[in-house]
Amino acid sequence: MKTSFDHPSISVKSTDLELLRRFEPIVHYTKGEQFFPFDVERYVEECSLWAHYPDGREELLVKQEEMTLEKLVEERPATFGTIHFLRFIETLSLSESAQVLAEQSRLRKKLGKHFIVGMGRLARGGFLPRVADALFSLSLLMRGKVSPATAAAAELAYEKMHQENEKYTYYGRVVRQNGWTVLQYWYFFCYNSWRSGFHGVNDHESDWEMVTLYLYENDGNLFPEWAAFASHDFHGDDLRRRWDDREQMDLVNGHPMVYAGAGSHASYFRQGEYQAEVSLPQPGWLAGLSRAWNKFWTQTLGQNESNPFRIPFVDFARGDGLGIGEGQAKAWSPVLIDEETPWASLYRGLWGLFARDPVSGENAPAGPMYNRDGSPRSSWYDPLGFAGLDKTPPPPLALKLLEENCNEIRSRQDELKTLIPQKANELQVLGMKLKGLEDHPHLAKIYALLQKRINTVGEELRNLRRERMENGALLQGMTQRLEQVRSGVADNPHAHIQKMAVPVEAVEMRYARAAETWAAISLSLLVFAVAGLIFFAPSYLWAGLAVILILFVIAESILRGAFIQTVSRVTLVLALITTAIIFIEFWKYILVIVLVVLGIFLMLQRLREIAG
Amino acid sequence: MAKKKKKTGIKRPIAVTLTAVIITVLFFVRIYQAIKPLVEEKTLRTALALPIFADGNLTAHGMAVAESILFLLLAIGTMVVLIGFLHMRRWSWVFLMAWIGVSMVVDLGKYFYFGVPNYVFMISDVIIVFALSQADVQRIFGIRSDTGENII
Repeated sequence: MKTSFDHPSISVKSTDLELLRRFEPIVHYTKGEQFFPFDVERYVEECSLWAHYPDGREELLVKQEEMTLEKLVEERPATFGTIHFLRFIETLSLSESAQVLAEQSRLRKKLGKHFIVGMGRLARGGFLPRVADALFSLSLLMRGKVSPATAAAAELAYEKMHQENEKYTYYGRVVRQNGWTVLQYWYFFCYNSWRSGFHGVNDHESDWEMVTLYLYENDGNLFPEWAAFASHDFHGDDLRRRWDDREQMDLVNGHPMVYAGAGSHASYFRQGEYQAEVSLPQPGWLAGLSRAWNKFWTQTLGQNESNPFRIPFVDFARGDGLGIGEGQAKAWSPVLIDEETPWASLYRGLWGLFARDPVSGENAPAGPMYNRDGSPRSSWYDPLGFAGLDKTPPPPLALKLLEENCNEIRSRQDELKTLIPQKANELQVLGMKLKGLEDHPHLAKIYALLQKRINTVGEELRNLRRERMENGALLQGMTQRLEQVRSGVADNPHAHIQKMAVPVEAVEMRYARAAETWAAISLSLLVFAVAGLIFFAPSYLWAGLAVILILFVIAESILRGAFIQTVSRVTLVLALITTAIIFIEFWKYILVIVLVVLGIFLMLQRLREIAG
Repeated sequence: MAKKKKKTGIKRPIAVTLTAVIITVLFFVRIYQAIKPLVEEKTLRTALALPIFADGNLTAHGMAVAESILFLLLAIGTMVVLIGFLHMRRWSWVFLMAWIGVSMVVDLGKYFYFGVPNYVFMISDVIIVFALSQADVQRIFGIRSDTGENII
C-alpha cells in the first residue's frame, strides 16, 4: 500500500526553499569519513587564488588572507590555456609534512575515525590486475599528484573550520523544464580523500557531488517521480531510479536515502561496497592492440572477456557513519543557488589545486556550473538530459501525449485509405497510356517521360503502402501502451536501466585470510624471484620469469577458487604461442598442404559439375 | 541377446571424438615409448637379471627400466583420462587441460633453450587445447554454463 510518506507531495505554490526542504535527501556516510558537505564561503576564505599559464608558470593572484567570495569572482582576463585555481593547502616543507602527518594521526585517534577496510580491493582483483595496480601507483610518480601530507593538512584544516562552526551545507537549485520541476542538491567538500584515505583511485582538493529529484505537477501539487544520483562510471538513464522502486531506493518520511562513497563522496542508492574499475592509461597503438586481442579472444576463441589491465577499486558506501538530514544526528543548512549566484556563475576556475595531472584524476573539479576546462556542465544546463529524462514526459502529460499521438496516426491511416487507391488508379492509367505509345518510334520522347513518371508514381505508391503497414503496427503498439497507462499498470521500474550499480556481495573467498595475505605479499615475492633469477640463472631469465608468473597466477587462482578458469586461459595462451612456433617452423609444409587441399576441393567441385 | 546401449541423451561433439582419438594415439605412443628402451637394452630378454644399480648409480639397464616405468605410468594416466573423457567427466577435462599446459611449457622450454621439441606432441597438444576450449565441449563437461558464463 502506498502511503503519503512513500509518495509525498507539496503545493505547487511552495517557495523553492520549501520544495528543497520537503524532499532533501538523507545522506549516510561511511565510518571513517573525514570530510562532510561544507560552506563554500568559509572554504574560499581559507584558500589562495592562482593562475597556471600555458608556459608552465604559476602566479599567485590573491593571497589567502585577502581571499573572499567577492575577490574570487572578479573578472580576470587571461590568455588561452590559462587555468585559474584555488589552493586550499600551501606547499609543505619536509618538516611540515612530517608534522601534519603526525597531527593527523593524533586527530584520528582523538575523534575515533577508524576505517576498517575488510577484504581489501587487492584481494578482490586477480594477480595481473595487481601488477597493473603497481604500474598505476608508479604512474602517479610521473603524473601530478596530491601528496599524503596535503591530504593530512586538508583534514586538519577542515576539522579546525568544522569545530569553529559545525554546519552541513547543501546548495539547492530549482529548475522547471518540459513539465518537470527539478530539484538539485549540490554538496561541496573541501577534499576528496578516496586514494589517501580509502585505497581509491584519486585525491584532489575540493569535491562537488549532486543529487537530483524530478517532480511532476498534478492537481496543484508536486509529486516526486525520479531520483538521480551522480556516480562513477554511470550515465544517462542508468543514473535514475523511480520513486516507487522500493527495491532500489529507501525513503524515510518522503526523503530519499543516499549512501556516500568513503572519500569519493559518490552517491549510491543502496548501501554496500561498490567495485569501480579503472583502466591504465595506454598509448593509442597499445589500446588498439588490446582491442584487437580482446576481439580475437572473445569472438574467434569464444572466451569470456577479461582485461587484466583494469584495476579494481572499491568505493565503500557502507552507510555506517554519520547521517545528515531528517531524523538523523545532524541537520542540513540549505542555501539556494541559481545562475545569478556570482560564485557559481562567474568563477570558471578549479575549486582546488591544479595538480598538473594530464588524466585529470588529481586535479580539483570546477564549480557546479562548469567542467574543468571551463565549458558548461551538462548536469547544470540540461538536468533532464543528464539522467536521460528528456525523452520522458511527466506522468499526467504522458496519457495526453499518447492519445494525441494515437489520434494523429489514426487520421493519417484514414488519409492513406483514400490516397492509396487514388495512387494505384493513377498508376494503372499511366500504364495503359504507356502501352498505347509502344511501337510508335516518333513518340519515343513522350514514352521516356511517361516511363519516368510511372516510376515516380510507383515509388510513391510503394511508400504509401509501406507507411500504412508501419503505422498499423505502430498504432497497435501505441494502443496497447495507452490501455496500459489508462489502467494504471506501472512499468517495470528497471526497464530503462542498462547497467545498474550493484554492491559487491560479501566476498566468501576460500582461504580468505590466506588470499588477503597472498594479495599483500605476492607482488613483492615476484620482484624477489626476478632478482633471484638475475643473480642465480641469468641465462634462463625469460623462461624462468614465464614459469614463475604462471605458478603465481595458478597459486592465486587456487586461493580465489578460479583454478579451472585460470588453467584454461593459461593453456590457451600457451597453445597460441605453440601454434605461432609451428607456423614459423613449418610454414612451407603448411602452405603446401593448404594448396593441395584447395586444389582437391576445387577439382571435386568442377568434376561434380561435369557429372551433373 | 545383445545388451542394449545405454543412451545418455547428450550428443558427443566432434571435438570430443577428435580429442579422444588423439588421446588413444598418445596412449599407444606412450606404450611404444615404454617398450622401446627395454627392447634396445635387451632388458626383456635378460628378464631383468642384470643389475639395475651399480656403485649407487643406475646402470644402462636401470635407466631403461626407469624410463620404461615412467612412460608406462604416463600411458596408464592417459588411459584413465581417456575413460573419464569418454564418460564426459568434468575432472577429466580439468586434468587434461592442466596436463597439456605442463606438456606445452616443457615443449616451449625445449624449443627456446635446446631447439629440439617434439613437434608431433606440440601439434597434438594444440589440437586438444582448441578442442577443449570449444563452448559446446565446455558446456558438456560442466565448465561453462548455457549463458556462456564459466561455472567455477
